[in-house]
Amino acid sequence: MLSPYTILDLTDDKGEFASMLLGDLGADVIKIEPPEGSHSRTMEPFLDDAPEPEGSLRYFAFNRNKRGVTLDLKGEPGRSALKSLAEKADFIIESAPPGDMDRLGIGFDTLKQTNPKIVYVAITPFGQDGPYAHLAANDLTLAAMGGQMSVQGDPNRAPVRITVPQVWLHASAEAMVGALTAHARMLTTGEAQFVDVSAQTAMFWSMLHARIAHQIQGSDFNRGGSILQLGTLTVPLVYECADGYLVMIPSGATMTKMVHWLVADAIVPEEWIEGEDWPIYERNLFQQNAVHYQLEEVVDAVSRYLKRRTKAELLELGLREGVTLAPVNTSEDLVRFRHLEERGYWLTAPLPNGDQVRAPGLLARPTATPMSVRHWAPTLGQHNQEILGEMLGLSSSAVAAASGQKG
Amino acid sequence: MASSENLPFDGIKIADFSWVWVGPTSTKYLADHGATVVRVESLSRPDILRTIGPFKDGEVGPNRTHAFNDFNTSKLGLTLNLKTPEATEIAKRLIAWADIYIESFTPGTMAGFGIDYETARQVNPSIIMVSTCLMGQTGPASAFAGYGFHAGAVAGFYDITGWSDLAPDGPWLAYTDVVTPRILASIMMAAVDHRRRTGQGQHIDASQLEMGLQFLAPQIFDYTANSHQVSRNGNRSYSAAPQGAYPCAGEDQWCAIAIESDEEWTALRKVLGNPDWTADDRFATNSGRLENHDEIDQRISQWTSALQPQEAMLLCQAEGVPAGVVQRSSDLFKDPQLEHRGLFRELDHPEVGRVPYTGHLFDIRGYDSGPRFAAPVLGQDNERILKEFLGMSDAEITEAVISGALE
Repeated sequence: MLSPYTILDLTDDKGEFASMLLGDLGADVIKIEPPEGSHSRTMEPFLDDAPEPEGSLRYFAFNRNKRGVTLDLKGEPGRSALKSLAEKADFIIESAPPGDMDRLGIGFDTLKQTNPKIVYVAITPFGQDGPYAHLAANDLTLAAMGGQMSVQGDPNRAPVRITVPQVWLHASAEAMVGALTAHARMLTTGEAQFVDVSAQTAMFWSMLHARIAHQIQGSDFNRGGSILQLGTLTVPLVYECADGYLVMIPSGATMTKMVHWLVADAIVPEEWIEGEDWPIYERNLFQQNAVHYQLEEVVDAVSRYLKRRTKAELLELGLREGVTLAPVNTSEDLVRFRHLEERGYWLTAPLPNGDQVRAPGLLARPTATPMSVRHWAPTLGQHNQEILGEMLGLSSSAVAAASGQKG
Repeated sequence: MASSENLPFDGIKIADFSWVWVGPTSTKYLADHGATVVRVESLSRPDILRTIGPFKDGEVGPNRTHAFNDFNTSKLGLTLNLKTPEATEIAKRLIAWADIYIESFTPGTMAGFGIDYETARQVNPSIIMVSTCLMGQTGPASAFAGYGFHAGAVAGFYDITGWSDLAPDGPWLAYTDVVTPRILASIMMAAVDHRRRTGQGQHIDASQLEMGLQFLAPQIFDYTANSHQVSRNGNRSYSAAPQGAYPCAGEDQWCAIAIESDEEWTALRKVLGNPDWTADDRFATNSGRLENHDEIDQRISQWTSALQPQEAMLLCQAEGVPAGVVQRSSDLFKDPQLEHRGLFRELDHPEVGRVPYTGHLFDIRGYDSGPRFAAPVLGQDNERILKEFLGMSDAEITEAVISGALE
């Protein structure tokens, strides 16, 4: 879809997901790293747990569909090569602290002189300016400042984040939307665009309807752990099963079918089947109409049923009977989920150690413009010659000077 | 908003048959930036978001909740009961009018209504149709009908959110509804750009599970390459310590502090006043701090407990220590950085009055963007859409009303 466009990716771990997503949509992405490599090459998880520069699986995961060059932007040859690349590019994405790129003489104001139609996207914790623009921040502090943690976790303990870092992925996905919106604006105005992405506001979005709750209803939403609050109703979402956990809602649609399973298992007597207007059970609860079986009783019966069965068993049963039973999957469960297998979701990626492993698939399936992984993450400076030498026409000594690769 | 200016997606027309969060949030990006979006609903099956809060002043009503209103700004509202043949004919005219046709029902639902992709292409050969559901249009679990918490569990987000000694808490609500709309909005923007250049439309199968899995890519590789499974770990990182949300003065007040390096640990010691306990050799290295996390947490908690969360954050920040208040909706509304960015935008709504809405999460320099007008009340724009967009005569509209097509 985006095959005519070239993207210069100057980001580290804070933005490389943005350019990867655009690369998945077909854009030609050139990853530009400092001579010593992107900070994200030092981030876990590592292949075989060995913290080698080419062994970061995080780097590997978020840099597919990119070619890689190194540029020493502290030196004039490197900056000059960047300007030459910017002339040929449509988008630049960077994640430096506010003002750093300007100080290096390669900020938006300079690059738009080189390329008057460039879309320049900057990703930072809080935005380019404002009272918090220079605060120190990372995944945990931004999950807090953006509000997500306030509604997440057990009410009797501290608010929690998602254990696996998510903040920069939200910011990066927002940056992709910003880039394409600004591109559309460039088409109408004919002018270069600067997009200022704040990770804090990207996290704000993740609160969904809790984010502006206070100004509307006069109170905040609070964290309730694994329960679902619907008006006056409190419904448990997470249930224990024989080998782990499962997410489901004892809704009318679910209970209409499930009540037969409860009876077959002798968990409840047969009169339960006729004893309640199951299809409208949740509506009755919602409207505080009289019900024969209280929600606590129903939840208890459901819990007993689920505890006797494994996640895999329940998933298959649910799929067969049209009841939404969602296992709390581990990575192993996920990789074994036959639906993804049969849908042909998984790709095979060649790891730096030569192993071929299963890799997350593409974003979506457009019929006219199929997506693909054209190349996996580049090794450090892998395409220096191809891009700096052949594309820009630099001599081999000029390539060495610009890329900062000595010898 | 400068009304004289052409907006980035001016002239793009979207027939939005989607519901709940994923589809409507995706189309909101285009609507706020100029696209004409017709949000199709039915009185017989109103969007579930119209039934949950927060309701304005706590007064329940389908047009009074921010769960719907904050996610459907800048759109027009049309009610159609697709179970009537007259409504199907109107839907076809709407698809013929549109550039993008999006739906988010269980696979096969739109075919049942007589408006599948083949039909859509017959009435509009260059239509871009987007079908998004939890599991995708094909595969053994394609009929798995549920919400973002179900997909969040299947993806693996539940297993990695919460405390290691408790059942999983899961992320706040429907997490795939947070992570997928940005990808989906970008796909639509890219598809529109492709069509602008080539005239080609297409059908896009976008599985919310598959889009969501992009946010777990490193962990999937950690499993397929290393056989490691990450598990939930409260607020702690597996690679650096100390990290946590620490209790502050007041009720349920917290400040997140997250140390990622020895330098930051030294800075935190300074913030705490270099008390003797911090000089303990066991805390001198990152691995020592990871090992003795409980003890360090206890000490830090003693320090934070006497402070307001904002005080704790600013004391840390003065020494460059990453720290952030766990902010609720009420805190976020007063956040000086969000205020600086003009995040909250007030709009007039016929039933709710003038209240704040979420503005844009990215800023494009020189473009004062934001939601353009409030979300539609049910059926608000029926006559205008049928007359002006679809060219229906008064007699045809009267017939449609009598047939029940507009319910």
